[in-house]
Order: sequence, then C-alpha cells, then structure tokens
Amino acid sequence: MKQNSEQIIDKSLKLTVCFFVASAGLWLLAAALLAYISAAKLTDPFFLSSFEFLSYGKVKIAQANAFVYGWGGNSIFAVTLWVVARLSQAEARGKVIVLFAGFIWNLAITFGLLGILDGHMTPHEMLEMPAEIWPALFISYSIIAFFIIVTHRSRRNSNTIAPQWFLLSSLLWFPMLFLIAWNGLEINPARGTVQSVLSMWFGQSLIWLWLTPVALGAAYYIIPAILGRAIDKYYLAVFGFWCIALLAPWSVVHHLEGGPVPMWIPAIGTVMSIAMIFPIAVASTNFHSTAFLDISKVWNSLPLRFVIFGTLSYTASSYIGVIFSLPAVAKITQFSIINDFHFNQRVYGFFSMIIFGMVYHILPKITGNEIAKGAKSFHFWTSAFGVLILLLAYLIGGLTHGVLAQQPSLNWASSVISSILPYFQITELAFVVLGFSQLVFVVNVWKAIIPNPFAFFTNDDDATNSEVSA
Amino acid sequence: MNNLLKFSLGIFLSLGVAWLAFVVGARAQFGDLTPSSETLDEFGNIPSDSDLYPLPVSGLAEQGSKEYLALGCMTCHTQQVRMVEAGFDVERGWGQRPSVARDYIHQKHVLLGNTRIGPDLANVGLRQPDLEWLHKHLFEPQSVVPQSLCPPSPFLYEQVDQASGKTFTVVNDKNESRFIVPSIRAKRLVSYLKSLHQNYELPEMAFVVNEEENIEKNAELLNLPASDVNQSSLPSWLEKQIASGKEIYMKAAPGGGLCFTCHQPSGEGLAGQFPPLAGSDWVLGDKERLIKISIYGLMGEIEVNGEKYNNVMAPPGIPPGSLTNQQIADVLTYIRNDWGNSASAVTSLEVSTVRNKIKGRAPMQMWTAAELSAVDE
Ligand code: HEC
Ligand code: HEC
Repeated sequence: MKQNSEQIIDKSLKLTVCFFVASAGLWLLAAALLAYISAAKLTDPFFLSSFEFLSYGKVKIAQANAFVYGWGGNSIFAVTLWVVARLSQAEARGKVIVLFAGFIWNLAITFGLLGILDGHMTPHEMLEMPAEIWPALFISYSIIAFFIIVTHRSRRNSNTIAPQWFLLSSLLWFPMLFLIAWNGLEINPARGTVQSVLSMWFGQSLIWLWLTPVALGAAYYIIPAILGRAIDKYYLAVFGFWCIALLAPWSVVHHLEGGPVPMWIPAIGTVMSIAMIFPIAVASTNFHSTAFLDISKVWNSLPLRFVIFGTLSYTASSYIGVIFSLPAVAKITQFSIINDFHFNQRVYGFFSMIIFGMVYHILPKITGNEIAKGAKSFHFWTSAFGVLILLLAYLIGGLTHGVLAQQPSLNWASSVISSILPYFQITELAFVVLGFSQLVFVVNVWKAIIPNPFAFFTNDDDATNSEVSA
Repeated sequence: MNNLLKFSLGIFLSLGVAWLAFVVGARAQFGDLTPSSETLDEFGNIPSDSDLYPLPVSGLAEQGSKEYLALGCMTCHTQQVRMVEAGFDVERGWGQRPSVARDYIHQKHVLLGNTRIGPDLANVGLRQPDLEWLHKHLFEPQSVVPQSLCPPSPFLYEQVDQASGKTFTVVNDKNESRFIVPSIRAKRLVSYLKSLHQNYELPEMAFVVNEEENIEKNAELLNLPASDVNQSSLPSWLEKQIASGKEIYMKAAPGGGLCFTCHQPSGEGLAGQFPPLAGSDWVLGDKERLIKISIYGLMGEIEVNGEKYNNVMAPPGIPPGSLTNQQIADVLTYIRNDWGNSASAVTSLEVSTVRNKIKGRAPMQMWTAAELSAVDE
C-alpha cells in the first residue's frame, strides 16, 4: 500500500519535476559556457573583445544570474516539489499551472540574461536582470510556491521535520527578501550608499536564505532516507534552524568593512558572522556524525556521495567565511578574488553538489529509468576535482591578491595583478573541467527523462505526452 | 513549528528585524544627507558664502555612468577609498581621504563595487585627468599600460585611415598606429571617469595627506620652505614623507632608490663625478624638472651651483625607472629637506601630473639639460 501511494505521488510530480530538472540542466550548461568565457577573458583581455555583448563585466554578471536563478531556481523548484510532496504523503497540486509558471520563470530569465548582455543591467547585486522582467519572475515564483504550500497543508501527518522547515522557509524568504530589496531599490529608491547596503544585503542573503536552506533541507531528507537511520542528535536541528533564521540576515554585510557607510553596519555583520559558528556546527554534527556511522554505504551510493561532499563543503566554507569576516583578515581580502571563492564554494561546492545528489536520487524514482553508474561516477569525480582546483586557485590567488594589494609601493598592473595571473589560468582550466562534468550531468538527466528521443517524436503513447492529456 | 501560520510568522520576523536595521535604520541615519561645505563654522552651521560639496555632476557624466554600469566595469573596479584603519588605499594614492556616505548622494546608481581586479576609481579623474589618455585606455588599455587586464572596448570607437583633428592615435606593441574617433558613448564614459573625484574635504572627513588643493589654498604659507613652517615639530604627514624618502634614498634593494651610492649619504656627491644634492640649485629649484629626472634619469653636461658635470644618471630605482609616484614624491621631499636644504614638499599628485604630461616619452630615454630648459620655455 505504502509503495503504491509513493508511486502515485511520484507520478503526480513526474511532469513538473522533469521539466524543472531538464531546464535546470540547460541553464547549468549556459552558466558553464559563460563562466569559461569570463575566465578566459581574464587570462587574455583580447579574447572575443570586439563583441560588445560579451564584455567581461556583462558575461560575469550574466553567469552568476544564470547560475543562481536558472540552475538554482529550477532545481530548487524540482527538489522542493518532490520532497514536500513525499513528506506530506500527498499528491502534488496544480501541476498544469505550476508547469505554466515554470515556463514563465524560464522565459523571464532568458530575457533577463539577454537584457544584461544587451546592456540593460541594474547595479543591484543579484538583481542585475532588467527591472521589466522581475514582476514576471516574482509572480511565477509565487504561483509555484503557493502550490507547494498547498501540498504541504494537505499533509497526512501534522508533525513537521527538519527538511520541511528548511524547504518551506526558503520558499518564503525569497519573496520577502525580494520585496524588501525591490521596494528600497526600485520603487522608492534609497539615496546614496544606503542603496549599496541594501543591494549587498540582498545579494548575500539570497545565498544564505534561499539556496542554503534548500540544500540543507535536502541533506536532512536524503541522508536518513538512504542510510535508513535517524539523524544523529536530531534534537539540535531545531536550534540550528532558528539560529540561521536569526543570524544569517545580519551576518551578510561585513563586506562593507571600512567603506562609506556607518561603522555599525559592517560591525554587526562581523559579530553575527562569528555567531554563525553555532548553526554551522549543528548542521555538520547532524550530517556528518550520521554519515560517518555508515561511511561505506555513503561511499557506495552516488547520490549520497554528492550530498556528503556538499555538506563537508558547507562546513568548510562556512568556517572559512567566519575567518574571512574577522576585521583583521577582511581588510586584506575584502576586495580580492576571494569573493569568487566564497561564491563558488557556496553555490557550486555546497549547493550544486547536494542538488546533483538529489537529482540522481529523484529522477530514477519518477521516471523509472536508471542512470548509468559509470556516467554518474564520472560526473562526480570531474565535479569534485574541478571544484577543488577552482576553489584552491581562488583561495590562494585571493590571499596573494589581497596581501599584495596592501603593499602601496607595488605597481598595480605589473606587480599585483600579474602575480595572480597564474591563478586565473588555473580557474580557466577548472571551468573547462567543470563544463565537461556538467555536460555529462545534463546528458544523464536528459537520457533519464527521454530515454529514446526519437520515440518521443514519433510515438504518441509516450509517457510524457499521456501525462499532459491526463 | 507544526503550525504553518506561526512558522511563517517566525520566518517573517527573523527577516523583519534585520530589515528594520539595515533598511529603515540605515535610511533614517544616512538616507537623506545633503551637500555640505568643507568645514563648518563654530556653531556647526554651513558658512553662507561657501561652496557645497559634493558638486552635482554634469549631464554627460551622468549618462556616462549608465555606460559604466551597462559594460559591467564594477565587476573589477571599486569606487570607495576605505578608512585608513581598513586598508592602504590612501597610501596607494587612490584618494586624498577615505570616502564617506555624503560623497555619493548625487549618484542615481551607486557603483561601490566589491572586487578590485583593477584599481579603485573613486578618484580616477584626478589621477588621469588627460582626455586623450582616457580615450586610448578605453579603446585599448594595453596601448598605454602594457600588462593591463582591463578589457578593451573597441566597439565604442570608429577606426579611420587618416589622422585628423578629431582622432586619437593609438600605438600597439607591434608599433602599428591606429586612428580612432570616439563615439558619443565613449565621450560620455570618459566624461564620467573624469568626473570621479573626491578632492574636497567634508566636515566629517578631512584629507589624510596634505594635497595640492591645500597647497594652492595656503600658497603663501606653503611656499615657505616646508620645514620652516614649524621647525621644531614638523607636521606628521611631512615627517612621515621625509622618513620614507630617506629610506628610499638609502635602500639598495628592489623598491629602493640607491641614491646614496652616487650622491653619498651626506648628499655631497663626489667631486667631478656625482653632483651634490646638498645646497644644489636643481634640488631646491623647479619641482617639475626634479620629477622628470627622477622618472627618466639625466645625462650629458649639466651645471650644478656653477660647477660643470658630464656623466650619466640612469633612471633611478631598482629596477631602473621603477619608482612609484609616491616614492618619487617622498625621496624628493627628503632631499629637499635634509643636509640643511629646506623647500616645499612634493606630492604624488604632482608626480602623476608630470608623468602624464610626458608619458609619450620612450622608456629609459634620459633627459639632457638642454632638453629640460627647452621644455621649460
Ligand atoms: C577584467 C577586469 C576589468 C574590467 C571589467 C574593467 N577594468 Fe579597468 N582596469 C583593470 C585593471 C587590471 C586595471 C589596471 C591596469 C591599467 O591601468 O590598465 C584597470 C585600469 C583602469 C583605469 C586606469 C586607472 C588608473 O588609475 O590608472 C581606468 C580608467 C579603467 N580601468 C576604466 C575601466 C572602465 C571604464 C571599465 C568598463 C568599461 C573597466 N575599466 C573595466 C581591470 C578591469
Ligand atoms: C648611478 C649613480 C647615481 C644614482 C644611483 C643616482 N644619481 Fe642622481 N645623479 C647622478 C649623476 C652622474 C648626475 C649628473 C648627471 C649628468 O651629468 O648629466 C646626477 C644628477 C642628479 C640630480 C641633479 C643634479 C643635482 O645634484 O642637483 C639630482 C637632483 C639627482 N641626481 C637626484 C638623485 C636621486 C633622488 C637619486 C635616487 C632616487 C639619484 N639621484 C640616484 C648619479 C646618480
């Protein structure tokens, strides 16, 4: 009976989850290409330099947006839809409308990125896509979130558990963050550097309050599910959750250390960043003490291997983040390429790796098609290797950059920047490796969704088609 | 946690508190700053006849800021000079003082930025005041700064076959010349870059180092030999500059000037070979000439205090010609204020102005006395 109801739930999700996973994959490839172009432009400024729409600044910003909203957004929808429905033991609601909203979401991002490349970006961190597309993004997001919450409300068991807290809070935080930022930046724009505080706050909070909780929620779900044992010291999770909720919105503005804003703003950020040690410690205790009880099983299950890589990366990145927000360190690395380290660590090393694991867990269940072990394993190793190289290059390069920049007598172009050029070359290489890795992921995903692409076009009885008419 | 409504309320509140601080609080505290005079009178009011800063920006520059934004220049450039405790931005010559919130009140879009692959641009209009340089740099930064990573923007220029009054000539490393005509967008962007300067003081923030502005303002005071202003206790910025200059003078390692090996620690030089600096009419005289020879060196016959010398001074510094603007300013200030010499200080701004003026000159092309006096006229 239980087996049966799970199948019914999966079936109700098949169309929407496949749609989001498939689009997420395409955005991932787009982001990989843009990442490579921007990295290559740092090693050779003349690379593609005659095309205005491919100027470094535009490509770099478009990449971050494709990554966060395209890949991140779509995969958040896929994972949240599925986990929430499964935990509620309820069928997903409103799938045609959700599908339609998802379509609008992707269309809006497409236009948004074209807008950036065409020179219409806004100056607000992670809100760079042109103002016109945001209403569409916001509305389509709200529709999808609404139906996920409806599913959650119809749950069989009124008790909730950690994955649900994290997934639902992220679902709610994004629209709130967005409305606050949008009001303060576009509707009644603040003057002067208040703008920068707000936009920086949004940009950083987006990662802390939107991407991070989804990945943590997914990890809280999948680790016990695959290992078949409860989360160790589960009672700590609720403390960890509220710590993030209370501290993260504050801890994100330390990037303005020494900048043209009142001192209390970066100071609060620093104190709260240090306090973030608590929720980080809770999450890593929960995840890792559970995982290490059965490490061979973790190793043998590819989805779990991805997830544990992600959670380890979360722990490492967050502690490193704390160190780099101490004023003595921050003043050295504040404006260095260490910023790329933080971004890629959080968004790639942590968030994406967990999502990869989740997708490999979910897809076979809802499509019934297994993904070849070798292909998954290749994806894992290239991703892990690529990410490590990338992060090391940004970390060491960033430290070098920061330390040399603090020597006023060194010439900027010929001493400071030329000594970090080798690191730029390494990142270029790492993005090539990651690009291949992501290509394999996308092929894996699409093959699971549409095992026989030609049958899809010729055979009217195809599962996906019958779903639409059903 | 099980009640969705209460749960959402908690989620909402956690964000709401931060919102109160960062948005409502910050706005109330510094969201409505107004322009101010450089100093306030004793009652804390703005004196009625004073200029208000920051000055409004021109329409062209305002449009240029949109080009700057659209091209994503802020992915590599910040526009904020940090507090002295937070970094060495002022020492690096990126500004005369740290930036404060009031500096940005006229900007529609504040482009502070958070990564410095390129230098800070908050004061680029002072450092690079020359239109031609800025256009060449925008067209192809590598034509003026050989190792630059700054991306070229050739699409903002039209290339023509013939040089004319409207064109700038850009020479690449293969010595090919190209003639470019800036588009209106390029003109806007360059006008914007030129408008970037925080060369005024505000009640909340004074200059960190004494700068040209002050020198002009207090011309009478400062044209007196700097060390005479207050013999017993020099102002601390001057003391610092002299100390740093002495270090450069005496240093025989990369980054140093090695001057003492020829001109001697005593500044007396060596008769017939190396001219003296102590009491030298060159040292106490025209600053521009001093700056020029500190960048490119000096050769051929010269006369110092009536004595003739005919020798060669390669561009000073290790490696030759590598002294930065600040280092040159410091070492010159030092030689103008030791061994009984006393003359006004040299600022890095003066050095950079001269450097820009003569930047077409081939590297290592030492000056001759004849050439220097010809330029003077
Ligand atoms: C890839 C990063 C990058 C981007 C993007 C970038 N720059 Fe630069 N920029 C640099 C570097 C590195 C330097 C230092 C070398 C030099 O002076 O050319 C520099 C220097 C400059 C300078 C000279 C500053 C000085 O103090 O001499 C100006 C002016 C400048 N950039 C303007 C721009 C403009 C305008 C844009 C947008 C079209 C832009 N930059 C985009 C990296 C960048
Ligand atoms: C390799 C030896 C050498 C070094 C090192 C050297 N100089 Fe000179 N300097 C000379 C010679 C030789 C001349 C005269 C050149 C001529 O005859 O044309 C000279 C001329 C000068 C003059 C103009 C004449 C005078 O005495 O007033 C000044 C000023 C000067 N040097 C300053 C410096 C400073 C400052 C440094 C260090 C940054 C320095 N020199 C390093 C050899 C040197």
